[in-house]
Parts: sequence; structure tokens; C-alpha cells
Amino acid sequence: MSSPVVVLARHSLRRMRPILIGMAIVLCGFQFLLTQVASYLFRSGGFNLMPSLVPDFVQQMAGPSMLAMMSFQGIVAFGYFHPFVLAAHLGLAIAIATEPAGEVETRFADLTLARPIARYQAITRTAVLLFAVEAAVIVGMMASTWTGLLCCTPREAPRPDASVIRWLAVMLGAVSLCWGGIALALASGARRRATAGGTAAIAALAAFLLDYLGRIWEPARLVSRLSPFHYFEPMTVAGGLPPSVGDVVVLLSIAAAATSIAYIVFGRRDL
Amino acid sequence: MVPGEIFGFLGLNGAGKTTTIRILLDLVRPTTGRASIFGADCQTHGIEVRARLGHLPGEPGFYGDMTGAATLDLLGQLSATPIDTELRKRLLDRLEFAAADLKRPMREYSTGMKRKLGIVQAFMADPPLLILDEPTEGLDPLMQDSFYDLVADVRRRGRTVFMSSHVLPEVERVCDRIALLRGGELVLLSSVDDVRRLAGRRVRVSFAADVVTPPVWPESCEVVATAPREWELRVHGAIGPLAALVGALPVADLDVQMPHLEEVLKKYYARPS
Repeated sequence: MSSPVVVLARHSLRRMRPILIGMAIVLCGFQFLLTQVASYLFRSGGFNLMPSLVPDFVQQMAGPSMLAMMSFQGIVAFGYFHPFVLAAHLGLAIAIATEPAGEVETRFADLTLARPIARYQAITRTAVLLFAVEAAVIVGMMASTWTGLLCCTPREAPRPDASVIRWLAVMLGAVSLCWGGIALALASGARRRATAGGTAAIAALAAFLLDYLGRIWEPARLVSRLSPFHYFEPMTVAGGLPPSVGDVVVLLSIAAAATSIAYIVFGRRDL
Repeated sequence: MVPGEIFGFLGLNGAGKTTTIRILLDLVRPTTGRASIFGADCQTHGIEVRARLGHLPGEPGFYGDMTGAATLDLLGQLSATPIDTELRKRLLDRLEFAAADLKRPMREYSTGMKRKLGIVQAFMADPPLLILDEPTEGLDPLMQDSFYDLVADVRRRGRTVFMSSHVLPEVERVCDRIALLRGGELVLLSSVDDVRRLAGRRVRVSFAADVVTPPVWPESCEVVATAPREWELRVHGAIGPLAALVGALPVADLDVQMPHLEEVLKKYYARPS
């Protein structure tokens, strides 16, 4: 007989299949689309015109990273930190991570946990699923990027370095897992999925705004370190600077700590 | 509980029946005290305890988008022992669950069908102990009979059944022993026969002519109502002394009714602590 974690994970995947497939198609399609947008701008000479369209003071405020974004590599890399992509990943992570609360709310947990299953196995299932789905979607996105670059891009176009795309993917995965972990911690103590998911989404939005504030307003810079998004710096990597391994470690540590909290809370709560 | 018995767990709404069951299943943690099944603590040895029981929740939380068959498959895979498909099929047949219905999503099921599927998932692993919360809620009378037969069958095979209910005739019909809960406290633990004896038999004596009420009644008799040609009494214990009393009188008819559990239990329900 299969392990309960495998049985539960298979069941969860089957139930989430439509949303996972839909999300994967949209995100992978978006990466492919960006390679074609970049190709079009390259062919039409749009990249030469773009800096002249942005006022000098805006270029100075945004710094060199903005100029880096106005390039073939920049447009392709943008697919890994575009607000839509970020929101989709966080939404997916939160949707997966809040399943324990959903099972308590619908009383499905009464049927499963009345069987010889330890509570930690329900959390392990969710954590494994979160990691696996995020990894699969990100690998799919990378595959779409390379497919777009290999099949339908001018040969002379300056393709981004593979390590840049890899790092951007790792950073996107890390920030998604971080918020997935936070949502899992909230879901482990909640009676309603909407409460856990809503709280996690609002917290993510607040943290995003806090980080943004810290970037544009000096007095808020110190406080913005509390936001997980402070450790998500894809623009620097896309601009050609070396990635910060420490930032990824911080994001994954938050994910690990939040998951540990979820194990403790779910193990002690009344269902 | 004694192995092989059917144990009724009674109480009014809010008495704590479901909470007790959830504590036994380690779904709820007790603030004080401990619960054990098969000599093992339900919390510290929860997995080994739950490996040997089947549970029907009061409100089974089935997913509406899953079919009945997929639900049973999933829950079967989570059981401690592999499910005997023949037994599962027999249970479904017995509860008149059509194969076509199993392929439908559960959102299309009626309350009774969901309850029947709940019963099947609880019984299908053939566990030594079944914990059933309000098992006949939502079943039609014919299905209730099928369920009672099913319970009688598992008892014959040495299985133990612990069922909560507030349907007293049902408890009277199927249970060997009962426990009554009031305000979270156990106020009665007895066999069904002993509880019936507590109630006393109801005796109605009709006379062919007017009779005089005796000044002293036999000790076992409790007078309910008297009229010149009819007495209504409750007899606790042997009926002999009453038979001797009315033997000399012009008795037209004697009606002895066996007591119902309901008569005693309602008193327990109502009695303040």
C-alpha cells in the first residue's frame, strides 16, 4: 500500500488539476510571448529607440537596471519578476498551502484523520505538493523561455545567459515558497480556507508595498527589511550583477520556519 | 465496553456525544483527562488505535466534485488494511447503492445517499470497532432496517459497535448497553434490559363490575390512575402480588405492556443535576 502522504498528495493534485494546468499554460505561454516581444523589438530596432523615450530624470531615478531592462535580455528576464507572474505564483502557492484549512472547513479531515494517519502527514503532503508544483511550473516556464529563444528568435539576438534565467527562476521559486510557507502556517490554525488565504494575500500585498516604500523613501528603508520582498532582487540579476545567495537563503529560511510552525500548530489544534 | 457488544451513546443535543467521539479519534484534544481504546491512549497511540476502527462522522465532509467510487477508493487507500472489494460490493448492494450512482459526483447525492456512502466507508475495512455518530440520520425507514441488520451482522462476527444516537426506539432495538450523557457528564451506564426494568411494566386491569380501590397496594405496584372499573398501574418487579390482589375481583381484561426505554431515559434527560 502507498504511503498516506503519497495517497493524499495524489488526491490533492487530482482535485487541483484544472487550476494547475490552467496556471501552468498561462505562465509558460507568457514566457514564450515575452521572447517573441523581445524578438519583434530586436527586429524593428525598438531597443535603440526605447532609452530616448524615457525621460532622463526617470532613467536616473531607476538607475542602470532600467536600461538593462530595455534590452533583449531584459525583456526575456522580465517574465520572471513581472507583477502578473509574481501574483500568479503567490496565488498558486497560497491556494496549495491553505488546503489543510479547507479540509478542516469541509470536514474532509474528519474522514481522513480518523484513519491511521498522523497529522504531520497532512502538512507534509501540502509542503511536498507546494514544492513540487512550484518546481514544475518554474521548470515549465524555463522550458518555454528556451523554446521561444531557440525556435523563433533571430540568431543574432543577444540571448540572456542561462545562469541568469536559472537564478531568476530560483529567486521566483524562493519567494513563492516563502509565501506558501507563511500561508501554510496560517492555514494550520485556521478553520476556514478563505481566512487563511485572505490573510496571507493581504500580508503579501502589504509586504510588497512596504518593500516598494523602502526602495523609494529612505526613512522606510530599515523597516522594509521586514518584508520578504526585500530579499527578492531580480532586477540586479537581470541587470547582470551577481545574485545574492544570502537573499535566497533568507527566503527559504522563512519558508522553513513557517512550515515548522505549521507542523506544531496543526499537531496541537482541535480539528 | 465489552468486545462484541453494541453500545448506545445517548444524550440530548449539545450533551457532548460528538465531542466525546472526536476525542476518541484524536480530532479534538481533551482539556483534562484521557481517553483510551483497546488499552491504548487515543492521543499518544492514536495511529494504532485508529488503525483498528471505522468511523462514521455525524456530518461526513465529502467533496462534491468527487464521485462516490473515487471517495471510497481514496478512503480505502488510507485504511490500515487493504479493502476487500467483495465486502465493499456487498455493503453497497445491501444499502441498495447502484453502481451507476457511484460514478456520479457527490454534489448530486441526496442526504440519504451521502449517509449510505458514509456507512460503507466506515464498514468497508471490517474493523474490530465501529464508531458511528448518528448513523441513521437521513435514512428512510427501509434503509434504517438494512442498517440495523448490518449492525446485527457485524456483532455476530464479533465486531464491537459504539453508536451515538438520540433516537431512543433505535437504541432500544439494536443496543445491548447504553450510556447517557448530560451536560458533558455520564449520568447512566446500564444494559438496556436493566433500564427497562427500572421503568416497570404498565398494567391495565379492566373489571366487569365496579370495584373498590384497596387501601393498601402491593409494594411493587405504583398507581398511575384508578376508576371504578379500571386501574392503571406500573409494576416494578414480579407481577405475582398484583395477580393475587385482582384474583378475587371480577377481572374482564388484563393488559401488560413491556416498558420502553424512552420512559426512563426521558426522566434522566429532564432531571436536573
